[in-house]
Amino acid sequence: MGRLTLRVALAVCLLAALAACGPVQAGGAPDPEEIARRQIKVVTTIAQIGDVVKNVAGDRVDLVELMGPGIDPHLYRASEGDVVSLADADMVFYNGLHLEAKMADVFEKMQGSVTTVAVTDEINRDELLSPPEFEGAYDPHVWFDVSKWMSVTEVIRDSFVDLDPQHAELYEDNARAYLAKLEELDLYVTEQAQLVPEEQRVLITAHDAFNYFGDAYDFEVRGLQGISTAAETGTADLSDLADFIVEREIPAIFIETSVPERLVEALREAVGARGSEVSIGGSLYSDAMGDAGTPEGTYIGMVRHNIDTIVAGLTGRSQGEES
Amino acid sequence: MFDLFTDYTLRTVALGAGILGIVSGVLGSFTVLRQQSLLGDAISHAALPGIVLAFLLTGSNESLPLILGAGLAGWIGTLVVRSIVRNTRIKNDGALGLVLSVFFGVGLMLLTYSQSRPDASQAGLDKFLFGQAAALLRNDVITMAILGGVAIVIVGLFWKEFKLLSFDPEFGSVLGFRMGAIDILLTTLVVIAIVIGLQTVGVVLMSAMVVAPGAAARQWTDRLGVMVCLSALFGALAGVTGALLSSTGARLPTGPMIVLSASVIVVVSLLFAPNRGLLWDRTRTRPSVLPAEEATS
Amino acid sequence: MAQALTTESLSTAKSSAVSPSRPREGSAVSPRDLAIAVMDLTVAYRDKPVLWDVDMSVPSGVLMAIVGPNGAGKTTLIKAILGLVDISAGRVLVGGKPYEEQRRRVAYVPQRGSVDWDFPTTVLDVVMMGRYGDLGWIKRPGAREKQAAMEALEKVAMTDYAHRQISQLSGGQQQRVFLARSLVQDADVFLMDEPFQGVDATTERAIVTLLQELRDSGATVVCVHHDLQTVTEYFDWVTLLNVRRIASGPTHETFTEENLRATYGGRMAWLKSASQTERSQD
Repeated sequence: MGRLTLRVALAVCLLAALAACGPVQAGGAPDPEEIARRQIKVVTTIAQIGDVVKNVAGDRVDLVELMGPGIDPHLYRASEGDVVSLADADMVFYNGLHLEAKMADVFEKMQGSVTTVAVTDEINRDELLSPPEFEGAYDPHVWFDVSKWMSVTEVIRDSFVDLDPQHAELYEDNARAYLAKLEELDLYVTEQAQLVPEEQRVLITAHDAFNYFGDAYDFEVRGLQGISTAAETGTADLSDLADFIVEREIPAIFIETSVPERLVEALREAVGARGSEVSIGGSLYSDAMGDAGTPEGTYIGMVRHNIDTIVAGLTGRSQGEES
Repeated sequence: MFDLFTDYTLRTVALGAGILGIVSGVLGSFTVLRQQSLLGDAISHAALPGIVLAFLLTGSNESLPLILGAGLAGWIGTLVVRSIVRNTRIKNDGALGLVLSVFFGVGLMLLTYSQSRPDASQAGLDKFLFGQAAALLRNDVITMAILGGVAIVIVGLFWKEFKLLSFDPEFGSVLGFRMGAIDILLTTLVVIAIVIGLQTVGVVLMSAMVVAPGAAARQWTDRLGVMVCLSALFGALAGVTGALLSSTGARLPTGPMIVLSASVIVVVSLLFAPNRGLLWDRTRTRPSVLPAEEATS
Repeated sequence: MAQALTTESLSTAKSSAVSPSRPREGSAVSPRDLAIAVMDLTVAYRDKPVLWDVDMSVPSGVLMAIVGPNGAGKTTLIKAILGLVDISAGRVLVGGKPYEEQRRRVAYVPQRGSVDWDFPTTVLDVVMMGRYGDLGWIKRPGAREKQAAMEALEKVAMTDYAHRQISQLSGGQQQRVFLARSLVQDADVFLMDEPFQGVDATTERAIVTLLQELRDSGATVVCVHHDLQTVTEYFDWVTLLNVRRIASGPTHETFTEENLRATYGGRMAWLKSASQTERSQD
């Protein structure tokens, strides 16, 4: 067994080395005539962006979404296959603001050979939140404020119009329709939020993804893990949050689909030890969306699911999912 | 400090870390004496592919299957080490290093592959790398206590056998003891100790917990029984202190705090322990030593 | 020094040494009278022969030395008898039965360098290890074992050191501790690997006396021995070994210049003086 193990180990090492040397083909800036005749190859990172792309460009795109349901974008490392897709694309959309933290150098390499667009670029920097621990960097979870996502839609529309001017009208029509839907969504969320009495309008989740939500819809927001899930939570953070929950008599806390449940479970136990009780109000989509083909697999569906779950949990009406 | 008793989370984490410290201290004493300090490192790194595979196969993010996967992979790693030493020219430390890096590499590969699966992040697999002590649940601590308790009882039962294994295994073999079986038993207990610690300090840091308390304890005593008890004490101290320290400030990670505490204990022991400490001679004034006294060695 | 022997040279070479200990046809000594019978023993390590076709008969009640140059396989022979190394061919009988059945009767004193003397334990503790075999699994040593250990320590004059750390012992003291450990076993066959290596003169005399007492009380003692000068004085039987058994038998017959040359190869001044010592004692 000894000799064999050695040889297997060597083979694995060789294969890994070879895989790393795979050829990467660059796509250049395509000619408008040429691109009008075919589907546009687009790569997006988070599915929220992908959903907008689908709504704006419809069948015109051949879309590759790197991060599917349940994937955590803070920790996602691009595989070799991903890099090939990226290099091969006509256009790449990513969130920016360091959300895709482990892909920063990949995007850097792409600049120049592929059109890369950080969809949050047009958002006024004054409107972005900058939490103290982040030292000057912005909170990237902008999609929870629907109005900001409307700005993102406009950026995406403009990018398509630039790339494929022959179909400009199509993109503009689609975008207009989608923006109307988003406007409706924004209103819905605002109304629903008001259903929760003010003192209980506190959203506690696994990580600080919902700051923009809180800002836009008047919720107080606290997360266990901070802006990025890469950090480790300390016991003090957990204790403080448990104290807070008891003090403010918050009825429910929420788990997220892309973050381990254990931490939230530990928080619940801590509250329980203080003599109080808090229930798991349900599962929210934070950094990732639901499965494709389901309503929660779309941006609009996802936002609706979130606000419905939050309202139900905080107004005491139990809604199925209790861990 | 009083928070230790009043605060539930701190209490839970400190308890878990303390149990971890005791068990790894006891078993680490033997690995240190057998000059197998790298073993803890190898086993904990080898556990990674087991954790990821357990998730991929069961789709579950419950602690139990992941822990079992970790234990199994770590255990298989030790068997591979034995096999390499027996069948090739490679010595023990080379074999340990090989198993450590290959298994860990495979584990990382699997981890990257698994992130393309929807619920992978929910399993918190990457949390096993550095641990997430604050997420210790009551059930976790109970499991740790039971496993740790069993391990310590076994050490107590097979005390003379483990002593024989560590001091003069050939002699033990001549007496008729199956030293190979005893070796596997001790190694299995080390695997259990490591598996206990994975959720608290993580794969990368666990090796420190197996080595540090034993190495520190050796400095203070020349009796095996005392050494093992002291090692347990140091381990518990490191665990509780680490938990306490991480609770004093925001965003102070518990696992690294525990390991830092253990390291401080080691450094203090290396420098200041009587007789063996490096600074011991320099800090006391030497009275003139009588020749008769010096003739004892 | 003898040259490295390959498997080919061994299988074609013929041993021309005198071996008076081989029983003549018709007057064979039955295996049961032999404390140890080694037959056709071959131990190879990755195609390199360490012991080749070794026969050795050790009658009961002798004090035997095994001598040979470095790499002759002396330690391997001891370990092969004790089942500590894998045997490629041949077999070993102790008192006419396979070794595994006779474990209780055999005591082992390994080389001093085979353990780490920095281990945290006391002299008494080490000696008590000799009783572990009788205790079996899990049972702890108690008062009886302690008593037996103290008695053994008395025989090697180390009772004052009973609670001393083994790291504080001199070479001679370490050797005595190992000897005491073998004495607690109630064995009647003793296998010792270089018991006189690196000990002071007083300890050496004490050990010789002890070994001779053991022999006189009916035990069989076999020692790997490094000092040719003292073979004739200490041991009544000797085996000369260099991968093959060159000669084996009573010292006065076997420890000859011719046999020594066959074992060690080449002319060496000290070989002559060694055999001269022997001749002058006749």
